[in-house]
Amino acid sequence: MNINRRQVLLAGGAMGASALLAACSGGGDDTSAASSDKGGKPRKGGTLRIGALGRAGAITRDPHGTQGNESDYLILALVYDTLTVPGADPNTKPRLAASWEPSKDLKTWRFKLAEDAAFHDGSPVTADDVVWSLRRLRNTPSGAARLPGIKAENITADGKDTVVLVSDYANAELPPLTRLTTFVLKKGTSDKELAKAPGTGPFKLDRYRAGNARLVRNDQWYGGTVYLDAIEVTMFETPQAMANALLAGQIDVASNAGAVAARTAKSRKDVQVVRRPDDMSMPLVMRTADGPFADARVREAMRLVVDREAMVKQVLSGYGTVANDIMGTGDPGYAKDVPQRERDLAEAERLLSEAKFDLSKTYELVTTEDISGLAESATLFASQAREAGIKIKVVKQESGAFYEKTWLKGDLYTTYWGTNDSVVFFASKTLVSEAGQNEAGFADKKFDATYRKVIATADPKARAEVLKELQRIEYDRSGYLLWGMADGIDLAASKVRGLPELAGYGRVQLENVWLG
Amino acid sequence: MLAILIAAVFAAVELLPGDAANATSERGDSAADVAARRHLLGLDRPLWERFADWMTGLPTGDLGTSARGQKVTDLLADPFPNTLLLATVAFVLTAALSLALGCWTAARPGSMTDRIVGHAATSAFAIPEFVVSVGLLIVLSLWTGWLPAVTLTGADGAPATWTMLIMPALALVIPQTGWNTTIVRGALADQAATPHVEAAQLDGLSPHRVIWRHALPGAVPAVATGLATSTGMLLGGAVVVETLFNYPGIGSVLAGAVANRDTPLIAGVVVCAGAAISLVLLAADVIRARVLGASS
Repeated sequence: MNINRRQVLLAGGAMGASALLAACSGGGDDTSAASSDKGGKPRKGGTLRIGALGRAGAITRDPHGTQGNESDYLILALVYDTLTVPGADPNTKPRLAASWEPSKDLKTWRFKLAEDAAFHDGSPVTADDVVWSLRRLRNTPSGAARLPGIKAENITADGKDTVVLVSDYANAELPPLTRLTTFVLKKGTSDKELAKAPGTGPFKLDRYRAGNARLVRNDQWYGGTVYLDAIEVTMFETPQAMANALLAGQIDVASNAGAVAARTAKSRKDVQVVRRPDDMSMPLVMRTADGPFADARVREAMRLVVDREAMVKQVLSGYGTVANDIMGTGDPGYAKDVPQRERDLAEAERLLSEAKFDLSKTYELVTTEDISGLAESATLFASQAREAGIKIKVVKQESGAFYEKTWLKGDLYTTYWGTNDSVVFFASKTLVSEAGQNEAGFADKKFDATYRKVIATADPKARAEVLKELQRIEYDRSGYLLWGMADGIDLAASKVRGLPELAGYGRVQLENVWLG
Repeated sequence: MLAILIAAVFAAVELLPGDAANATSERGDSAADVAARRHLLGLDRPLWERFADWMTGLPTGDLGTSARGQKVTDLLADPFPNTLLLATVAFVLTAALSLALGCWTAARPGSMTDRIVGHAATSAFAIPEFVVSVGLLIVLSLWTGWLPAVTLTGADGAPATWTMLIMPALALVIPQTGWNTTIVRGALADQAATPHVEAAQLDGLSPHRVIWRHALPGAVPAVATGLATSTGMLLGGAVVVETLFNYPGIGSVLAGAVANRDTPLIAGVVVCAGAAISLVLLAADVIRARVLGASS
């Protein structure tokens, strides 16, 4: 459930060079290639060459370590399995855990393991292996953040095939926590053996060297048919180099290549642009605790000032959708019926004068160039706000300075979350009063109470109702101005079929890919 | 000398905002997690202590542990030989090309060729590696498809084919050849004004013979120094070029290490590059001393 900010950082990046390159090499035709799910019956065979971003200094082979590289995460996710995996609806699907059910008080969760799950060396996966792995995960430096509310001693086995997790508090949202980092190793695997440790995933490690790997199909995989013979993962330092490799035919898929690459690849008939909606949010954060934006009316005015369509069109090159100030847009329980906020300068001006907002002052909007489009979003917003008489000066900070000085503290700044996570994920991480990453200093008693009610409600229908209430509060008065969601964008050669279309880490689920 | 350099590296990283604990943390981490990480990495200890620690490991070949807990020597084991390979190829090409061009133009002083090559050399040196690289990419790979656009590695961690070396090497060679051609040409011009070369010319020897037998030997110290200076610039340019071509060398390691405020890793790269440059400078000095010693 964790998003390493450096990891998200890698996802963007300026792409000037490849823009220029593709502009020179492409034809004038604007039709992009067919979508990846067309093209008939899946065929077995072939090697998929995929590029993923990563940096030599951040390489890790530890499934429970901090994965700063997408390339490492991709390799780990193909070799090892998590208990559950991201889905579209519901957003949590079975993997190593075939099913799960909570106790009445939603504190105790029992995960039943898939029957024929086995390690690559043939030995069956037992509850002991899972317990050992989860405890190992929990005892990492980031363990508390990865399995929040679950102490290591409260992870136990019940028989050979059931794992029991006991949460410190009622938590209906526990299964989604097991989607991303609960990689299962064999019990007792030592740190020295990690590089060669057998996993349970759809692919087996053939070779690995300095961030690059070759994986071969696991014919005994319990999760279904795998079509590819092998996957070769190449680590790329920059999205430019990755896009160039794809355009030159050296790789078949450029994972998370970004909007600029997509725009330039559009003119190439042999390249498909795979868009994964709800991939990344880059909201403006307004401090609610104190400062010029503490008045809810001022925040409302700011939300009415932004021209969302223009933001999506210009900042994201159109590769995204308009959002409605509620975080967690990919959640099946996302409140689609809350009316879409539109630009209304007259109403904004009325609210500002009612709140006695000082229009003579110039306000600083702090931003970084950590991901592509972020600084641009700040600049465009500043010019839109000027039309309502609000003077905003954009201040760019270097990433290190930003996280030290501005993040969690500033009055007005940009942030970003790469995610297909749930509404509750954002509520727990960034919106409840005690949240560790309460970016806007938001403390709202009604919100806190509603949040606790959501995670303690078992009945899906009742829960959906409370979840709506929670989103309404967020929409009305949180510190977020979420104007849009950026698509995740992969580039692929036309022969590649069945590429994942889920946002965030959904992109690493390559078991259904085949070559036409 | 190296100790001062490394001390400067430690101090410089310290001056950058943020630290390794912060830069390598995850978003889910609380302030306490980051503090624990800081302690784990020893960042709560004074700078001089960390520096002393790192330096005492150096003689035994221990370059310390990176901010992500990997041994720095392991992290550099594959990339450093790759960078050396690239830099060596580029160095040899640069030396051959600039000597050839320098001699060729020196044989025709003041001619059209001399002027054209002179201007071309100056502008070549003025173009950043970045621009050269993009130009090469467009022409040699994306338009014509003659060369691979990026470097992919084989099972041994080295570039999969030798063709993948051509463009990165050229991107380094073109600016450096500009620089060295100017030096060779200048040194030969200086030599042309010396009595023994003038005498050789008056004897009616062919221009090639004059340059080869009489002018060039005297120009060697200047040329060697120029080429030695190139080593530093080649390695510096490699940071840019390696990133653009996804060449698996220390340049790309360095870029990530700086972003992560990973002092031991940055210092490790600096030591390797510093050692390589020192060796070349030493070689240049030896050549200089021999030639000057012989002529005095």
